[in-house]
Amino acid sequence: MALEFDRSILGQVFDETDFPPVEKADLLRFAAALGETNPLYTDEEAATNGPYGGLVAAPTYVTRLRPKKMAPEHMPRFGKVGFDGGRDVEIFSPVRPGDRLKMVSTIHDIYEKTGRSGSMYFIVLRNEITNQDGQKIAVVDHRIMQR
Amino acid sequence: MARVIDLHLHSEVSDDSRAPVEAYLKWLARKRDERPLDGIVLTEHRQFDTQSDYRALEDKYGLLILKASEVETEYGHVLVYGVNAAMLQRFDFSNVRLRAQEVIDEVARMGGVAMPCHPGRPTIGLIEHYENRPPLEGVVGVEALNGGSKKGENERVAALIDTYGYHAFGGSDAHLVSFVGICATEFEKEITNTEELVEALRAGGYRPVDFRVRRAPAQPAASGA
Amino acid sequence: MKTLYFEEVEEGDELPPIDLLLTKDFVRTYARTAGMDFPRFTDDAGARQEGLPGMIAPGVLSMGLLARLIGEWNQAAQITRIGTTFRSPVLPDCHIHLLGFVTQKDIERHAVECDIWMENHEGERWVIGTATVVLPTRNP
Repeated sequence: MALEFDRSILGQVFDETDFPPVEKADLLRFAAALGETNPLYTDEEAATNGPYGGLVAAPTYVTRLRPKKMAPEHMPRFGKVGFDGGRDVEIFSPVRPGDRLKMVSTIHDIYEKTGRSGSMYFIVLRNEITNQDGQKIAVVDHRIMQR
Repeated sequence: MARVIDLHLHSEVSDDSRAPVEAYLKWLARKRDERPLDGIVLTEHRQFDTQSDYRALEDKYGLLILKASEVETEYGHVLVYGVNAAMLQRFDFSNVRLRAQEVIDEVARMGGVAMPCHPGRPTIGLIEHYENRPPLEGVVGVEALNGGSKKGENERVAALIDTYGYHAFGGSDAHLVSFVGICATEFEKEITNTEELVEALRAGGYRPVDFRVRRAPAQPAASGA
Repeated sequence: MKTLYFEEVEEGDELPPIDLLLTKDFVRTYARTAGMDFPRFTDDAGARQEGLPGMIAPGVLSMGLLARLIGEWNQAAQITRIGTTFRSPVLPDCHIHLLGFVTQKDIERHAVECDIWMENHEGERWVIGTATVVLPTRNP
């Protein structure tokens, strides 16, 4: 029995956000906040001799990018409380200092199941991230649970 | 032929697992000393996998591979063994609000057996629902040992089994390759197919077995990083 | 740089575990750095007002730590996909253990699949996931 809602909402772009150029200091702070030790993310000099020829962002840096709007205007509500159910991140190319990133957001899927905290609705928010050259950087699927 | 079987696991057919069945089988071959299993039962979430044919893998790895389902009811999640066309016709397995009593009665009538899993878990386990609803009739056994349980959830099942005289079985509830077979069920009789599994689960003569090995973690020296 | 080549990695290899004390300060610093400066991630009293038992760590922090587990195993590992399920709220100050295994090798892409998870000192798995990781090869 499929969950009933207006499925035309799925896949429609509801937000496009342009971010200011990525600052080197921000990448370094982010890596430090995770306790990263990998020189590719923490040490500009060492990273220059690495596979990317320079400092890049720690892999989950893309999860810190937030769209201006978190949901479409006519988003159905399935519950009162929201929880972070998980993330799936596909990474195509590393984020580098100076990148001007753009994020396009859609609702990818909505489904229902039951878990430890009761009947839950899963809303999959998809963020597709590209850089100034239109190069694909990452796709982040954010599973938001509502109950 | 199989005596030790993991009765509860999810392959990439389930929405929340990416584990290919062959990766599970390879892992069991590698961990043979630690987890001496003879078979697995794939219990995909809210569906029955009619497509996959695992006979070639059974021969290659020398393990029994059976298929079942994990469905959702108002009394929590229930494993259905011996799924057939009549059951798939009778129930929409994707419905997360199936009636537990109907599932248990009808599955039994149609030649299978429906057994509640992780009964000690909040909301999706039987015990919490027994506190404010009448007990289900016709339950023959429950999953007393679940490899995905949090502290206290397995421990809580002993009293339920004492009170209602249920048989007890175990399963890993693996969603990741490396967790296959950490908990399983040991049967007194050999099982070679789904019909024998259903018959054995109804009759009794099995017990949960725990193959989990706890590592001794290093005492963390650094704070945070 | 610590580099493991595809040919040196086997299915079944364990990623060297990371055991750490996840402090409230560490969580707050992450939350502020990642633009998640919300009471539930920074302040016990504020988190309780939201119905939580106390401040929790953001799910993406757990994910970032699991990515770090892969990077510390092999600094040349290139994560092309990482997926995590947040099964329980992660409450600091607690000892956590980051664990993982290489489960499958893909010779065509010289990539490996890894199981990765975070558990507490009682073995409860709070976050579970998998990652696809491309490795350098000696036979390009």
